[in-house]
Amino acid sequence: MTYQLIKNEAPASAGKLSSPAIVIPAFNEQETIREVIAEVQGACSYPIYVVDDASRDSTRIVARESGAVVLPLVNQLGAWGATQAGLRFALAKGHDAVVTMDADGQHDPAYIEQLLRPLNEGLSDVCIGSWPERGSKMRTIAWKLLRAASGMKIEDLTSGFRAYNKRALHLLSGWKATYLEFQDVGVLALLLQSGAQIMDTKTPMRDRQSGHSRIFQTWRIVIYYMFHSLLLGLTKRPVKRYVPNRPSVMEPTP
Amino acid sequence: MMSIVIGLIGLAAATSIFWLVRRDQLHVNHALGWIIVAGLFAVLGLAPTVVDYVALKLGIAYPPTLALSLGIVILTVKILLMDIERSRSEVALHRVTQKLAIQEARLDALCKDESVSARADSEPDTNAISAHRQ
Repeated sequence: MTYQLIKNEAPASAGKLSSPAIVIPAFNEQETIREVIAEVQGACSYPIYVVDDASRDSTRIVARESGAVVLPLVNQLGAWGATQAGLRFALAKGHDAVVTMDADGQHDPAYIEQLLRPLNEGLSDVCIGSWPERGSKMRTIAWKLLRAASGMKIEDLTSGFRAYNKRALHLLSGWKATYLEFQDVGVLALLLQSGAQIMDTKTPMRDRQSGHSRIFQTWRIVIYYMFHSLLLGLTKRPVKRYVPNRPSVMEPTP
Repeated sequence: MMSIVIGLIGLAAATSIFWLVRRDQLHVNHALGWIIVAGLFAVLGLAPTVVDYVALKLGIAYPPTLALSLGIVILTVKILLMDIERSRSEVALHRVTQKLAIQEARLDALCKDESVSARADSEPDTNAISAHRQ
């Protein structure tokens, strides 16, 4: 279990988390949401907030029956819009950290504590669960292009398996973050520009149990996503290049 | 003839704007910009030589180029401003949608709490009964 610090300018806000929550954005995930919630409940006792992104199936009913608190969106806002609704709700409820994860079963809740650890120790504001091995050829090329455009060194830019502390929650709950459409380049650039610390750690991911990626499904969406993210990456690119702080790799706890 | 047509277009535009504001279909702040456009049409219609005069002063050999270029620039700026406004409106709509979902989740939790407490009130107090029996 290793952690790589992406940027290290200001110290992360104080650690010692007391009440993390789990936020799961979901769109048409009735097949998997019950199992995902059960797995999370088995792995930790944190409250689970499922944000239903105007699904056309029974996602919200299944999630509610499974014991999650459901935030039903009346309009489809996309994965980031749904996630932000969950972050705003968690902040309003007084949580000091949030772990976001996908509703399709790709993310293993067994790694939730691993994501929260650097936040708990005050070493980072955000921890990204990365697993570059999951990338198809197209996804790998997309990551490379986005990294080149944005100047970011984060390996798995599109991972939705992340932990945010209170400082990051405040940053991402604001109006500025609502202008963003996707959770990758724009959100990470906003965090980095605001002086937040970001770490990533390897968290093996499983194959999607049902459905498909909301981005990498048709060429039209992929082209739109790439142009959108490349433009965003270029416009948000810092004048000074981010230099990863290699020596600050955390040692695994015994 | 052309100047009459342009003048009439200006008059029609101004009338339409007044009518739209009167029917509450156009906000006054948006109407202000269009009134200026209508005014420009009227000026061009009534005194088309103004363009020739300005073009001559600027050294433009073919005066209509000036009018057309200005028109394109104004329209581009207007569309850009509209997109900025649209972005703001979309963000506001997203925030409201999120807020609605948050409030609905809170309301759900409240209703659940109320139904639990109502059930607890309607159920016989077994402790009280047992205490009475003793």
